[in-house]
Amino acid sequence: MTPKNHPKPTPATSSVLLASLVLPGLAALAAFSPMLASAESAPEQTTIAIKYSTYQDSQPGLDRVSVSAPQIYVQAPIAGNWSVEASAVSDSVSGASPRWHTQVSGASRMSDERKAGDLKFTRYLSRAAISGSVAISNEHDYASRALGLDARWSTDDNNRTWTVGYGTSSDRIDTTYREGNTTAVDQHKRTHEIMGGVTQVLTPTDLVQFNLTRSAGSGYYDDPYKMQDKRPDQRNTWIALARWNHYVDAYDASLRSSYRYYTDTFGVQSHTAGVEWVQPVGRWTFTPGARYYSQSAASFYVDPVFNANGTYDLGATFMAANAQTYKSFDQRLSAFGAVTLSLKVAYAITPHTSVDVKVEDYQQKAALHLGGSGSPGLDAFNARFMQVGLTHRF
Amino acid sequence: MKTIVLSLIALAALIGLSGCSNLGQVNAWEKGNLAKPQMTFEGDPLDQRFVQHTYGSKENSSGGYGVGGGGCGCN
Amino acid sequence: MKPWRTLCIEFSAMASPCSVQMDGQDEHAMRQAATEAVAEVQRIEKKYSRYLKDSVIGRINAAAGGQFFAVDEETRGLLDFAQSLWTLSEGLFDCTSGVLRHAWDFKTGQLPESKKLKEMRALVGWEKVSRDADLVQLRHPGMELDFGGFGKEYAADRAAAVLLRHGFAHALVNLGGDLHALGARALPELQGQPWQIEITHPRPEQVQAGVPLAQLPLSRGGLATSGDYERYFIKDGVRYCHVLNPLTGWPVSHWQSVSVLAANTTTSGALATIAMLKGEHAIEWLNTQDVHYLAVQHDGQLLRSAAAHSLKARP
Repeated sequence: MTPKNHPKPTPATSSVLLASLVLPGLAALAAFSPMLASAESAPEQTTIAIKYSTYQDSQPGLDRVSVSAPQIYVQAPIAGNWSVEASAVSDSVSGASPRWHTQVSGASRMSDERKAGDLKFTRYLSRAAISGSVAISNEHDYASRALGLDARWSTDDNNRTWTVGYGTSSDRIDTTYREGNTTAVDQHKRTHEIMGGVTQVLTPTDLVQFNLTRSAGSGYYDDPYKMQDKRPDQRNTWIALARWNHYVDAYDASLRSSYRYYTDTFGVQSHTAGVEWVQPVGRWTFTPGARYYSQSAASFYVDPVFNANGTYDLGATFMAANAQTYKSFDQRLSAFGAVTLSLKVAYAITPHTSVDVKVEDYQQKAALHLGGSGSPGLDAFNARFMQVGLTHRF
Repeated sequence: MKTIVLSLIALAALIGLSGCSNLGQVNAWEKGNLAKPQMTFEGDPLDQRFVQHTYGSKENSSGGYGVGGGGCGCN
Repeated sequence: MKPWRTLCIEFSAMASPCSVQMDGQDEHAMRQAATEAVAEVQRIEKKYSRYLKDSVIGRINAAAGGQFFAVDEETRGLLDFAQSLWTLSEGLFDCTSGVLRHAWDFKTGQLPESKKLKEMRALVGWEKVSRDADLVQLRHPGMELDFGGFGKEYAADRAAAVLLRHGFAHALVNLGGDLHALGARALPELQGQPWQIEITHPRPEQVQAGVPLAQLPLSRGGLATSGDYERYFIKDGVRYCHVLNPLTGWPVSHWQSVSVLAANTTTSGALATIAMLKGEHAIEWLNTQDVHYLAVQHDGQLLRSAAAHSLKARP
């Protein structure tokens, strides 16, 4: 037995980790890389979610529109640095279309179906991610194709993330399917939008986000089913959004608030403020929420005209409309406010599967307009949303 | 109504921000709570898709949350 | 549907408080796996403790200056690893440096007698170890082999491997502060959240009671910390800690503590110790190892890896 003396050693590898793998049993552990919160990484699991959503609105004396929409959503990691997201929905809409100027009983029953889907691919880099998406929506009289591209990147300390996005959509409106209604034949609308935003970690319990979106659209904006509806063929918008998530340690809950300001060249300005409290309790999560919305009327919105004894004067209203180049009686372009109260309850059946139910009550009326004076002569309307969903991760 | 809402937001902001001197300098090892599901912005994807779509058809404002969503005939 | 539970088994091993924590549905299977994991830790302690005369280390040390000693595959692997660490650290990490404890008495806080220290230093040096296949020899009588530099960390990895073999991927093994996390929490109400780990502050007298140096949400990987506060004495205002430089025989003083997060605990522990020994060159060297680290310098200054860039201590 000759002892071997070791000359000045030259390591086979300069990595201690690789050296440790010669130890029995450690190779199996080294299959995973250590996890410290990283800025951008593909999701670890695949998520599949289905949801059945319904919406029913009503105006005094008339059930208006009801929508039922089953939806499906999938998100999956691909090959380490990619992920794909896809969703599909099939809306069935039926009911009376909104009465314009609610005084006129011009409600007509209709039913329609909308099928839509979207697909998004994301590529993850060490501190950034880029996504490309495509969305398609089809109804009998309306088809929309949209593309989106967005990128986000984070600072070294992961406390700030910048985002930038560009989207474009091309829509086609054609009413001829409906008993030869030739109001809109092969009309088009095109929009482009760009968005920039920043998300900032403010404290160990606070996250804030600011987004600014600018969009420009041109084409056919009229509502082809309403009389005396002629809107500009261009609409540009600015939207500013601020969001704040605050973690409340005492309850292991979070307070989520948001505010959105919207203004467009139709003359509509709106404010949307929302707040939610997310409260986990064991396997349950309760999320009560409230939302307040207020918008001003479009510049070409035509108020109903009343005659001397306070009754609606159809003739005078029509004459007022005729005097304008652009006009609309659409209640959705009037000045009003709306309040939503919501409650969502979710339950984790297993670590991978959860169910959720959400109920929302929506009230829209002129009197809720910020400052109190909404558009006159319109009935309020009320709506109920309900959603039931199931999510599974694996 | 407006003043009540704004005051609540301002009050919440004050309560939230009162205890910190190092705004924006949070170390990676203090972010445990921020990673919790109740702290995401996006929330449930299908929930938001439906709700935002519906609001877009009942009100005149839509968007501001992201790009690339298409249009529909409901507004 | 069986409910999800957390099992936590606490035990003592390698002179430290230890625990195995896991989330699972089958309590019986969890207990079985945890018991095996604890048994594995105890097996390693019994096999490699330098304090037990009939451990492998004890017997190799007893044969110093004499015959070659035949070792099994596991021991051979550990000797290879010790060799790699010695070369990678350019002689700073040396498994023969254990003899120096005969010169340094941390219990009574006495500086070593220069004669005794010189005597012990003569017995230190991996180049004085001869190896041939599965044979090992310590060439001079009195030489001692000591796996204390990575023994506990190796045991943490092996215990984790036992749990993994039983199919449990949501577990945390903690051997006196050397941790191996196999995967995030699995209880439904915790929804994949990581294990919350606290890193001890090296100077607890300078901060509020119980305040850790940092809190780490850990899902996977090995975390080990080496510090100058585990065993030390202060004489005339100078701290002498138990991490001794084998080339000089004296304690290191550049870092208060170094914590490393790597794919396995064995690596983390070795890197943390080597970093302590490398002094001011530690950061440069750690950056070549592609791991996460948090180091507290002698003056309290914090340095951290680029990947976990914003690590900060409470002042």
